[in-house]
Amino acid sequence: MDHAIIVEKLNVWIRGNHVLKDIDLKVPQGSVTAIMGPSGSGKSTLLRSINRLVELVPGTRVKGKVMVFGRDIYSEDPYRVRKDVTMVSQTPNPFPHMSIYDNVAIGPKIHKLVKSKKELDKLVRWALEKAMLWDEVKDRLHEPPTVLSGGQQQRLCLARALALKPKILMLDEPTANIDPVNSKKIEEAIKALVRDEGITVIFVTHTPAQAVRVSDFIAFIYNGRIVEYGPSRELALNPTHELTEKFLRGEIG
Amino acid sequence: MKGDKLLYYSLLPFAAVVIAAFILLFAVISYTSAPAIKEYGWRLFTSSAWSPSETGPKSSKYGLLAPLYGTLVSSIIAVILALPVTISTVLVIEEYAPPQTRDLIGSLIEIMAGLPTIVYGLWGLEVLAPILKVHVYSPLHQLLGFIPLFSCRPFSGYNILTAGILLAIMVLPYMVAVARDAYRSIPMTYKEAALAIGANRYEYAKIMMGMIKPGLIASALLGFGRAAGETVAVALVIGNVPLISSCLFKPGYTISSLIANQFSMAPLYPYMMNVLFTGGLILLIIGVAANSVAVIMISRSRLR
Ligand SMILES: Nc1ncnc2c1ncn2[C@@H]1O[C@H](COP(=O)(O)OP(=O)(O)OP(=O)(O)O)[C@@H](O)[C@H]1O
Ligand SMILES: [Mg+2]
Repeated sequence: MDHAIIVEKLNVWIRGNHVLKDIDLKVPQGSVTAIMGPSGSGKSTLLRSINRLVELVPGTRVKGKVMVFGRDIYSEDPYRVRKDVTMVSQTPNPFPHMSIYDNVAIGPKIHKLVKSKKELDKLVRWALEKAMLWDEVKDRLHEPPTVLSGGQQQRLCLARALALKPKILMLDEPTANIDPVNSKKIEEAIKALVRDEGITVIFVTHTPAQAVRVSDFIAFIYNGRIVEYGPSRELALNPTHELTEKFLRGEIG
Repeated sequence: MKGDKLLYYSLLPFAAVVIAAFILLFAVISYTSAPAIKEYGWRLFTSSAWSPSETGPKSSKYGLLAPLYGTLVSSIIAVILALPVTISTVLVIEEYAPPQTRDLIGSLIEIMAGLPTIVYGLWGLEVLAPILKVHVYSPLHQLLGFIPLFSCRPFSGYNILTAGILLAIMVLPYMVAVARDAYRSIPMTYKEAALAIGANRYEYAKIMMGMIKPGLIASALLGFGRAAGETVAVALVIGNVPLISSCLFKPGYTISSLIANQFSMAPLYPYMMNVLFTGGLILLIIGVAANSVAVIMISRSRLR
C-alpha cells in the first residue's frame, strides 16, 4: 500500500515541554484518519508538525522524520510543503479584508496555479463547490466573508485550502463550534473529496460517532503518545487500550 | 456604580477644559485671520507675491500659494518616502528580527521621536543637504534629467526634496508607532492562515499589510499632519524662497517656516500679522483634517 504520510519517531518540544513523544504513524493514500484524544494531548501539534506550522512558535524543537509522498518535509522548502498539505484551523479564519472570492483565489494566485482569470474563476468555483458552499455564496462572491455565518466561514476556509489542489488535507476540529447542519455538510464534503479526488484526509475530532462516520482509521493520542491506532469501527467498538475505552466512554477528555 | 458616576462628574471639568481650549484656539486664529481674508480675498490663496509695505494694505502684496504648495509637496514627499520604510521596519521588528535586535530598533525609534526638532534641522543643514547635493541630486539630474521632477540643476542642497527627506526621517517614528500598533492587533490565527496556504515571506507580508490597510492609511495621515506642521527643521533646509516649480531641486517655502521667519517683522506692517494667522488657520485645518481621518482609520483598523 502506498503511504501519503509516514511519521517516524517524531518528537516535538515546545518551550521545553515534551508535547509529542515518539510518534509513529502511517497514513495510506486516499484514506481518512481521525485523530482523537483528550484536550492538550497534542492533536493540533501533530497536524502542525505535518505542515511545519509548529516552527512558528519560538522555542520549538522537532526531532524525527515526517515523509510526505516519500519526501522528507523537514529538509524541504516549507512553502512548498504547505501547498501540498493544506490545513483548516479549528476556528474559522477567512481573511477579513478580502472578498469571499479573493479568499479562495489567494492560494492559487500566490502559487501561480492558473494562467488566466477564466481559469481562476473555474478553480474558485470548483473549490467552493467541493466545500459545499457555492450555492450559498455564488451571488455575493465579492462581499466580505463577515457576511457569512460561522459554519459558512468554516467551509470558506475549506474552499481556500482546496483551491491549492492539495494532495493532503488536514482539518483541526472542523465541526467543533458548528451546528449539526453545517457539520453534516463538512462531513459530506470530506467524504466526497476522498471519493472523487483521491485526497488523503487527516482530521481531529472529539466526537467518536463522527470519527466512525467519516474515517477509515482512528489514531488515539494520550499525553503526546499514540496509544492506539487501527480501523475506525474496530477501534471504536473494541478498544484494546484502557485509556481509549475510558475516553470513548467520556470519562477522560 | 456610584463611585463611577462620581469619578465621571469630577473628571468632567478637565474634559471641558480640553474642549474649551480647542474651541478657543480655533476661534482666536479664525478671528485674527478674518481681516486679512476680508482685505485680500482669494488672492491670498492664489498668488505667491510677498511684498509687504509699511504705507498701507493696498500697496502690500501677500500670497500664501507658494508656501502652501511647499508645505503640501514636502509633506507628501515625506510620507511617500517614509511609508515603505515604516512597513519594512514594522515587519522587521514584529516578524524577522531576533529579540535583542528588535528591542534595539524599538528603543532607537523612541529616541528618534523624542529628539528636539532643531537637532534634525541642524543635522539637515550641515550634513544631509550637502551630502545629498553631491551624491544624490547631481547624479540624479544627470541620469534622469529628462523627468521634470529632476530637470533643473541642483545649485544647492537646500530645496523641497531635502525638506521632504528630512521630514520623512522625522515623522518615521510616529508612523512606525501607529503601523506597529495596527500590526500587533492582527490575531495569530490570520497569520497562521496565511502561512498555512504556503505564503512565502513576501506574500505573507502582502497579506498582512492588506489586512492593516486602514492602520497604514492612519499612519500616513498622521505622518502627513506632523510633517505639514513641522517648522524649524524645514526652515533650515528648504531654502525659504516662495517658488512653485515642478522641479524638486528648486528651493521652496512652507507656511510654518514663513510664519517663523516673518513673525518678528509682522507688527511693522499692516495686515501682515493677520495674513500669517491665515497661514496658521490653514495649518490648523490641514492638521485637524488629517488627524481626524487618521483617528477614524485607527478605530477601523482594530482587528480584535
Ligand atoms: N504555542 C504554544 N506555546 C506553548 N505551549 C503550547 C503551544 N501550543 C501547544 N502547546 C502545548 O502543547 C500541548 C499540546 O497542545 P495541542 O494544542 O497540540 O493539544 P490538542 O490535543 O490539540 O488540545 P485541544 O483538544 O484542546 O485542541 C499542550 O500541553 C500545550 O500546552
Ligand atoms: Mg487542538
